[in-house]
Amino acid sequence: MSRPLRVVVVNGSPNERSRTMGLAGLVTSRLEELLPVEVHRIDVYRLGHGFTDAVLREEVSPEVEQRIRLAEGADVLVAATPVFRASYAGMFKHFFDLVDQYALANKPVILVATGGSDRHALVIEHALRPLFAFFQAATAPVGFYANAGDFDGTLVLNGEVYSRVEMGLNDIVAQLKALSDGLGDGAGATAA
Amino acid sequence: MSHPFEIGIITFGEISPDLTTGRRTSPRERMAEIVEQAVLADEVGLDVFAVGEHHRSDFVASAPPVILAAVAARTRRIRLSSGVTVLGSEDPVRVFQNFATLDLLSDGRAEIIAGRGSFTESFPLFGYDVADYADLYREKLDALLAIRRENPATWHGSPHTRDLSGLDIAPRPVGALPIWIGSGGTAASSVRAGSLGLPLALGLLLGPLRQFADRVEKYYESFESAGHPAEEARVGITAHGYVGATSQGARDTMYPYFAVGMRENNHQRGAGFALPRRAFDAQATPNGALLVGSAQEVVDKLMAYHEAYGATRALLQLGYGHLPQREHLTAIERLGTEVAPVLRRELSSTAGSPA
Repeated sequence: MSRPLRVVVVNGSPNERSRTMGLAGLVTSRLEELLPVEVHRIDVYRLGHGFTDAVLREEVSPEVEQRIRLAEGADVLVAATPVFRASYAGMFKHFFDLVDQYALANKPVILVATGGSDRHALVIEHALRPLFAFFQAATAPVGFYANAGDFDGTLVLNGEVYSRVEMGLNDIVAQLKALSDGLGDGAGATAA
Repeated sequence: MSHPFEIGIITFGEISPDLTTGRRTSPRERMAEIVEQAVLADEVGLDVFAVGEHHRSDFVASAPPVILAAVAARTRRIRLSSGVTVLGSEDPVRVFQNFATLDLLSDGRAEIIAGRGSFTESFPLFGYDVADYADLYREKLDALLAIRRENPATWHGSPHTRDLSGLDIAPRPVGALPIWIGSGGTAASSVRAGSLGLPLALGLLLGPLRQFADRVEKYYESFESAGHPAEEARVGITAHGYVGATSQGARDTMYPYFAVGMRENNHQRGAGFALPRRAFDAQATPNGALLVGSAQEVVDKLMAYHEAYGATRALLQLGYGHLPQREHLTAIERLGTEVAPVLRRELSSTAGSPA
């Protein structure tokens, strides 16, 4: 008996109406069509002082500890951030500074970023991928990037972005399916 | 001066298998369908009928001027255009002769939309090297314009064209034989069209409706800075669409065929790619590129295009992916009777003003 894949989006956007989440939403809704999944979301900018005041993991509030554990326990992590000062947002990195060094090892991670123009597109390869390489995570080969002009509000209008999401998820869907089929027998499983 | 707003349709004559039966229309049937579409477009008062050149077995329109000549014989008013003529792999003399002939047959209704072309099958077919793509196009466009200007033409040849000095190129057209520059949205095409003082036909496939606003701005700038009268600058848009009785009905009718068309022609890593329904629906929102919906929605979106680009002409591709003929004809009729009259009325006073 398998259970739905637990997909956790770590959202590094400071905005309530976020293009980053618009793009991440494309990814998760396509995942929902491909596999049984339950989607959770962590908005790092809204974790509060229990997060921002913590220098070490021991210092985070119980609520924040629970959110970090949610990310660590994800079956699939979606790491989504706007480009800020040439890289991922600071609080996005702060969140991962608090994540256990080995919690993400061999975990499927999907990289998502948005920026003001396509000149920032390599943030996926030059900032996000090295971060998750440190964690020894299994990052999907194709990352997803969109620029401000690809959106109407938070809705992605650029058809090529949809195609890329389609292609990028097709690359890993067999592994995710196998992962999903293997889940549910162990401890902590929830009924589908 | 102002250009009256013109609305037309364009087809590539693609032959895709029927979605429900899997049956592939024969090229002969497809040709008859295209002529029927054009005849109806003329009857319902549309302004332009265009045929895009493609040299592949899954398309039937490798010789647009021949198709347009058949249409010319059965229509009275509608303008007859290519969209595009892949000029780089053509002989400019022959292009001119074909369209001048069409112009005589149609009493001055012929025109050319010349472009570089997004498909490249015609290059090996006519003995050209795709590596010379850009040079071929530029030189042949200059030659074609020289041929149109006067006979004999002042054209002394270039690396990819021959010397035409003193040669008689006939027949001459009845009218001005308009030549538009077809552009997929590159700044280079905008600047070329602008500096040559030619109208710009912008091909908008998918994406945000205003995505080419800066390139159109460049067109108007280049047009003026090359010394052409600003009011003669002209932008037309070409986009995919469908006019239905209701918003949802139009989307539901268009989507499956359009997705097939995209899959056949939008390849990634060598494989066809389906357009997800949600991507299609995003394109159908007010700021997306597709002209799909009820007549009112299509009117609104064409107004938005007019506003964004100063467009005074719109060509709609209504049946991409080989929409069944019955639905295609219905959409043409709605475009002519429900969309065009409203737009002509709304835009008659403002047409021709850049955004």
